[in-house]
Amino acid sequence: MRKRLTAVVALAAMLGLSACGGGDSAGSDGPVSLRMTTWSANEAHLKLFNDIAAEYQSSHPNVAKITFDPIPFESYTTTLTTQIAGGNPPDLAWVLENAAPDFVSSGALLPLDETLRKTDGYGFDELAPAATKLWQADGKLYGYPFSTSPFGIFVNTDLVKAAGAKSPAELIAANAWTWENAVTTASAVAARTGKAGLVVRDFDYKGWDNLSTIWTGWGAQAWSADGKTCGFNAHEMVDAMTFLHQAIFTAKALPGPGTAADFFAGEAGMTITQISRASLLDKQKFGWDLVPLPAGPKGNYSVIGQGGMGVLKKGKHAAVAADFLAFLTNPANSAKLAQFFPPPRTPLLTAATLAKTNPLLKPEQLQSVVIDGIANGVVKPNHTGQAELSQAVRSALDPMWKADADVRGVLDGVCSAINPLLAK
Amino acid sequence: MPVLTDNVAGRAEPRPAPGGTAASPRRRWWTSRRRDQLAGLLFVTPQLVGTALFVLLPLGLVVWYSLHEWNVLADTFDFVGTDNYRELVDDPKLPGVLRSTLFFSVGLVVFNLALALLLAVLLNQRLRGTVVFRTLFFSPVVVSLVAWTIVWGFLLQDNGGVNGVAGAVGLDGPNWLRGEWTALLSVIVVQVVKNVGLNMVLFLAALQGVPAELYEAARVEGASRWTQFRRITVPLISPTILLTSIITVVGALQVFAQIAVLTQGGPGTSTTVLVYYLYQQAFQFHQFGYGSTLSVLLFLIVLTLTVVQWRMRRKWVFHEQ
Amino acid sequence: MNNRLPLRARVAIYGLICLLAIPFVFPTWWMVTSSFKPVSDIFAFPPSLIPTELSFSAYRRVFELQPFAQQYLNSAYIAAVVTVGTLAVSSLAGYAFARIRFRGQHALFLVVLVGLLIPSEVTIVPLFQMFNSVGMIDTHWPLILVPTLGAPSVLATFIMRQFFITLPGELEEAARVDGLGRLATFWRIALPLARPALGAVAIFTFLHSWNLYLEPIVFLSTPEKFTLPQALTQFVDAYGGPMWDVQLSAASMTALPVLVVFVIAQRQFIEGLAHTGLKG
Repeated sequence: MRKRLTAVVALAAMLGLSACGGGDSAGSDGPVSLRMTTWSANEAHLKLFNDIAAEYQSSHPNVAKITFDPIPFESYTTTLTTQIAGGNPPDLAWVLENAAPDFVSSGALLPLDETLRKTDGYGFDELAPAATKLWQADGKLYGYPFSTSPFGIFVNTDLVKAAGAKSPAELIAANAWTWENAVTTASAVAARTGKAGLVVRDFDYKGWDNLSTIWTGWGAQAWSADGKTCGFNAHEMVDAMTFLHQAIFTAKALPGPGTAADFFAGEAGMTITQISRASLLDKQKFGWDLVPLPAGPKGNYSVIGQGGMGVLKKGKHAAVAADFLAFLTNPANSAKLAQFFPPPRTPLLTAATLAKTNPLLKPEQLQSVVIDGIANGVVKPNHTGQAELSQAVRSALDPMWKADADVRGVLDGVCSAINPLLAK
Repeated sequence: MPVLTDNVAGRAEPRPAPGGTAASPRRRWWTSRRRDQLAGLLFVTPQLVGTALFVLLPLGLVVWYSLHEWNVLADTFDFVGTDNYRELVDDPKLPGVLRSTLFFSVGLVVFNLALALLLAVLLNQRLRGTVVFRTLFFSPVVVSLVAWTIVWGFLLQDNGGVNGVAGAVGLDGPNWLRGEWTALLSVIVVQVVKNVGLNMVLFLAALQGVPAELYEAARVEGASRWTQFRRITVPLISPTILLTSIITVVGALQVFAQIAVLTQGGPGTSTTVLVYYLYQQAFQFHQFGYGSTLSVLLFLIVLTLTVVQWRMRRKWVFHEQ
Repeated sequence: MNNRLPLRARVAIYGLICLLAIPFVFPTWWMVTSSFKPVSDIFAFPPSLIPTELSFSAYRRVFELQPFAQQYLNSAYIAAVVTVGTLAVSSLAGYAFARIRFRGQHALFLVVLVGLLIPSEVTIVPLFQMFNSVGMIDTHWPLILVPTLGAPSVLATFIMRQFFITLPGELEEAARVDGLGRLATFWRIALPLARPALGAVAIFTFLHSWNLYLEPIVFLSTPEKFTLPQALTQFVDAYGGPMWDVQLSAASMTALPVLVVFVIAQRQFIEGLAHTGLKG
C-alpha cells in the first residue's frame, strides 16, 4: 500500500501538481480532527450527533474538531470505498448490515472490546447478544450496532375496514394471526378497494433479502449459519416461496412485479417494514396500526435489520476515534440516540423507556414488536462478499416472478448460481 | 475583416518575434515553418498537460492496478501479473455483459441520432412556434438526472402512466422494466429522451447552414423531398453527423446512473452493461484489480470504435477531403 | 426555405411534434408541479396534472435544511470558471490542431482524443489518490481542474477543431499579408468567427459541470462546499428516506434558471452556428 502511494506522490510531484497543494501533515501530536461518514443527512440526526460531539470536545481538549460527513445512501459504499482506496479513510464510519461481514472479517475495522470495557460506566455487558452477533469475529466486537430495528407490519385500518376483512388486531385477539389469514385479509383489500394488499417494502422484486421477513416463518434461510450451504432449495424455502408465489399470482395479495404502491401515501392495506418508519405516519389522514409479523408454519418469529458504527484501522487517529465511539454510545448517549435508532442495550429496551421517545407508538406495540423482536430476532441474510452474492441471487430469482414459474426449478437455479460464491 | 497593425501583431505574439517586415540575419533561421512549430506546440500545451495529468496518468495507474489483486477493505495489494486478464477470458458472465452492451449501445445510438435528426428536420420547417418546441425538446437536458429517472421509473410500472396511455388506445402494454428486452428498450428510451436535445440543437444548426439555393435547384430538376434529403441534406450535414455519432457512441458506453436506478442491471443480467459491471466489481464487490481490468477492456473497446469512426470519415464526410 | 407548406402538411407536422413532445414535457411538468403538492399526493395514482393546493413550504425548507444559496453559488461559480477555462484551452488547442502545421500534430491529437474515451467511474480512484496526495480533497480544485484540462475538455477541443477546419484557407493568407502572428490571427480573426462554436462548447461545458454528480460526492465532504446535484441528495427524513417535496423543489430550482438562459440564448446560438459554421 505504502509503495503505491509513494509512487503516486512522486509522479504527481514530478508533474508539478504538488506546487499548488497544501494540506495537513499526518501524525502530528497537536489537537486531532475526527471524521465520521454517515448515510443520514437528516438535520435532527446531525444536530444530535453534533451536540454529543461538542460535549465530548469540552472534556477532551485534544480533539479539535469532529465532523459528520453525510454521503447519499445509494452511493454510500462507493464513496466510502473510494476514500479508503484513495488513502483518505474516515476515522469512523457507519456500516450497513449487508456490508457488515465484509468489514468485520476483512480487518478494516479496529476491535472495540478493550476500549469499551475500560470506559467508566459503559456497561459493556448490557449489549444484547442478538444485536452484537453480526458484528463479532473471533470473539471480538468490530462494530457497535447503533440501530437494531425489527420488522413489523403497519396496517391501514381504514382500507381493511372498507374491504370488510378481518383486521390483524382482531386476528391477534383470536390468536389467529398467521400468514394464511394475513394473505386472506390482504387479498380482500386488493380485490375490494382497488389498492394494493400487502407490500414488502424495499423488496420491489429486487431487494430479495427483505423476503426473509416472510420465509423465516417457515424456518427457511438463505444459507446455513456457517455460510457454506445454500438454503434456497431446502424444502422449507420451497414451501415458503410456493406460498409467496401463490399469494402474489393467485391470491393477488401482494402487488405484482413492476407495480409499486406506497403504504405511507395510503396506497396499500399493509406493509412489512422496520418500525423506525412510524414517523412517516405522523400526518397521515388514515387510521393505522402496528403489529408483529404473523406466525408461519414454524410459529412466531421476528427479523431485524441493523446499522453499525466502526473505527477504521487505517484512520489517522484510530485510538482517539475509538474513545469517542465509547462516549457516543455510552448509556446516557444511547438513550438519546434511541429516539431515532432502536438501541442494542437491554436496560433501554423497556416499553416505558422507548415510549418516551416514540410518542406515535403505544407501549404494547413497542413491547410486542420492538422489545420481543430484538430479543429473538433473526438478522436479515448476510455473508462475506454479500454484494456479489446478492447480485447473483437477484438475477437468478428473476424468473420466479412470473405467473407460471417453476418455483422449485428457479430455487435450484439460485443455488447453482451461488454455490461457487459460498465456497469461496 | 478588421484592419490590423503590425504593432498589435507584435504585442500579441507568443514570443518576441522579429517584426513582420524587418529583415535580419536571424530571419532565415526563424522561418514561418519554425514559428508555426513553436506556436502550434504552445497552443496545445495546456490541453496536453491536462491530458497527461488527468487522463494518461490515471489511465496508467488503472493499468497498473489491473495487474494486482487489490481488495480495498482487507488492504491487500498483491502483484498477480496477468491473472486478472486470464480471469477476464474465463469470466462466464462477460459474454452476456458484452452482448447487453452491444445491444444497448447500438440501440441507443441509432435511436438517438434518428430522433435528433427527425426533430431537427421537423423544427426546421418555418412554422410558427418552433422556438417553443425547441425549448420543450431541450428541457430534459437540464433536468436533474435523479428526478428524471425517478419519474420514469414511476411511469414505466405495470400500472404506470405509459401503460395507462397504451390502455386508453386499446393496447395492452408489457410490464416494461420486468421483461429482458423491454427493460433494455426502456432504459434506452429514457436516456435518449433525456439527452437527444443536445444532438437536435447541433443538427438544427447544421440544417440551417445548408444553402436554400441548393434545394431550389433540386426542385427545378424535379427531385422529391426524400431525394433532396438524401442527396443534399445528409452530405452537407455529414460533419455534424460524425461529431454527434462519436459523442453519442462514447456516451452510450458510459451510461450508468439510469441503469443503477431503473433496473440495477436486471432482470437477469439483461441490462448489465460493461460500465455497470465494472462498477459492481470495483465498488460493490471490492475487487478493484479485476474492476480495473474491466476498465482497460472498456477503454480498448471505445478506442477501437472511435478509431474506426474516425477512419471512416474520409469516405462519407463531405468536408474532410 | 418556403413558407407555403400545404395546410394539411402543416397540421400533420404540428400533430407529430405535439405527440413527440409528451415524453419530453411530462416528467419536467411532474417535477415542478409535484414540488407544490403535499407529500402524500406526490405518488398518488393516477398523478394529478395540477396541484390541488399551492404549498410553498417545501421551497422554504430547501433553504432551512441546507446552505442552499451557498451551494447554488458554488455550482454557479465552478461552472462559470470551468466554462471560461475550457473555452480558452479548447479554442487554442482546436485552432492549432485544425490550422497550424506542426510536427507531431496528428499523434498529439490522437493522444488528446484518448480523453474522450474514458468514463469517470474508471479514473475516479486514481484521481482521488492524486488529489489526496496533494491535499486537495474537500476543495473545489478537482471539480475545476479535471473538467477544464482533463477528459471533459477534450470534447470541447474536438468541437473547436471540427469548426476551425471548415474556415476558408484565405483567412491565414490575408492575415499573413497583414503581417499578423499566429496568436494575433487566432485572437483577432479566427476567434470572432468562432463565436457560434464557442456557444456550443459553452453550453456543453456549463451543463456538464452543472450536472456533475459522482465527482462532487467523492471529493467534497463539507455541506458549505457542496454543489447542487449533491445537495439534492441531502434532503432526507429521519430514516434516510428522501423528502420528496423538498427534493423536487430543489431540483426545480436547479433546472429552471438554466432553461431560461437557453430560451434567451438559443436563437442566437443556433442561427449563429448555422450561418458561419458549415458553409464550406
